[in-house]
Amino acid sequence: MTDVIKLKAKDYKSGIKPIWCPGCGHFSVFNAITKAMAALAISKDDTVMVSGIGCSSRLPAYVDSYGFHGVHGRGLAIAQGLKVARPDLTVLAMGGDGDGFSIGGNHFIHACRRNVNITYIAMDNEVYGMTKGQASPTTAMDWDHSKLTPHGPGVRPFKPAALALASGAPWIARAYSGNPNQMAKLIAEAIEFEGFSFLHVMSQCITFCPEQTDWKAIVHEREEPALVDADEAAKLFLHEDGFQIGLLYSEQRATWPPTAVGAVTEGAVAQLSASFRV
Amino acid sequence: MTMANKKLAEFFAYSVELESEAMERYEELADVMALHHNDQVAQFFVRMAQEVTHHLAKVSDLAKDMELPELKAWEFNWPEAESPETASYEALHYRMSLRQAMILALENERAAESYYRQVANSSDDAQTVRIAGQFADEELSHAAELECMLQELPQNGANLREEDDEPHMPE
Repeated sequence: MTDVIKLKAKDYKSGIKPIWCPGCGHFSVFNAITKAMAALAISKDDTVMVSGIGCSSRLPAYVDSYGFHGVHGRGLAIAQGLKVARPDLTVLAMGGDGDGFSIGGNHFIHACRRNVNITYIAMDNEVYGMTKGQASPTTAMDWDHSKLTPHGPGVRPFKPAALALASGAPWIARAYSGNPNQMAKLIAEAIEFEGFSFLHVMSQCITFCPEQTDWKAIVHEREEPALVDADEAAKLFLHEDGFQIGLLYSEQRATWPPTAVGAVTEGAVAQLSASFRV
Repeated sequence: MTMANKKLAEFFAYSVELESEAMERYEELADVMALHHNDQVAQFFVRMAQEVTHHLAKVSDLAKDMELPELKAWEFNWPEAESPETASYEALHYRMSLRQAMILALENERAAESYYRQVANSSDDAQTVRIAGQFADEELSHAAELECMLQELPQNGANLREEDDEPHMPE
C-alpha cells in the first residue's frame, strides 16, 4: 500500500518526463501539485487527475495517480461525473485558458454553479501554446504577436475570477507559477475545501509570450483574509489588476448532489411506480 | 532535545530542503533541455545536478542522527519565493546558451552562499554557526569554479542561440 510510508513530493511523480518548453510555468504547477499531495499524505490510489487538451492538459500523465486525458474543454464534465459516481475519490481537474474558458467555457460556468466537490486548476498563459501561439480568451486586446491577430484580438479578455464568482463558485484563489510553494499551499487548501474550488494560475509561456517574465515583478500577495461576501468579491474581481495572488474568496454552501435525506424503504420504488400507473 | 540541538536540526531541515530542491530542479532542467536538443546546456545541468547531489549527501550524512522537523513546502521561510539555490523558471529558454546557463547557475550558488552566510552570522548556536559557515564556504568555492569556467568560454553566447525554426505559427 502506498499509504503506509510517508511519501515525498517526488514520489508522486510518475517518471514520465514532461515535454513542456524549458521555463514553462506548468512545471511549477506540476511541482506544486505533488508538494500538496505529499503534505496532505494523499493516497495515490484514491486520487484522479482529469484534463482536457492543450499543453497543460498533459499534466495527468506526469503524476503518479489515476488520470484521464479527456476531450478538449470536457475535463470538468468528466471530473464531475467521476466525483458524483465515486465521492470517495479526490478529483482534480486541470487545463489551460483556451480549454477552460473557450472550448470548455460552458462546462466551466456550470461547474461553478453546480458546486461538486472537486478542485479545478486553470493554468492560464493567455495563449494557445500547443498550436504555436494564438490568442486565447484571456489574451490582452492589443497582443499582436500572432499572425492570426496582427493588431491584437481586439476583444476584452475574460476575467476568470469574476466569471467564476458570477457563476457561483464558492472558493476562488489565484497563484503564480513563480511561487510554487504558495501555490502548493493553495492547492492543499483547495483539495480540503468542501465544494468546487477554483484555482486560477498565472502560468507563464516563455516561448510565445516572453513578456510574461515581467509578471514576477508585478504579482503581489493578498494581505487580507479571503472575502466571504460575494458583493465585495464582485467589486474586487471587476476592479483589481489581476495580479493579486492568494485565497481571494471562500464561502461554504451546499454541494451537489445533495445528501439523501432518508433511506429508501423497501417497496418504495414499486409504490412510486404504482402511483404513475393510469 | 536541547534548544541548541533544535536550532541545528532546523538548520539541517532547511539545508536538506535547499539542496533537494536545487538538485531536483537541475535534473528537471537537464531532462527538458535534452528533450529540446540543447545538449550542451543539458550536459551542464546534469553536471550541476551531480554536484548538488554530492552536497546533499554530505548534508544528509551530517544530519543522519538527528530528528529533523517535518515542514511542508510552504512552511520554509526563504528570502525569496523559492529556496535560494533553485533555478528560477523565468530565467530559462529552450534556446539558452551555455554561457547563460552558467550565469544562472552562478547566481544560484551565490544565493545559496548568501543564505548560509546569513545563517552563520545570525545564529546564536555555535554548532549552527560553524556548519553554516562551512556550507557557505563550499558554495563560494562552487561559485569560484563557475567563474573560472565562464572565463574559459568564448565571449559570444550572451544571447539566445539562433535557429531557423522560430517559435511562431506558420504563415
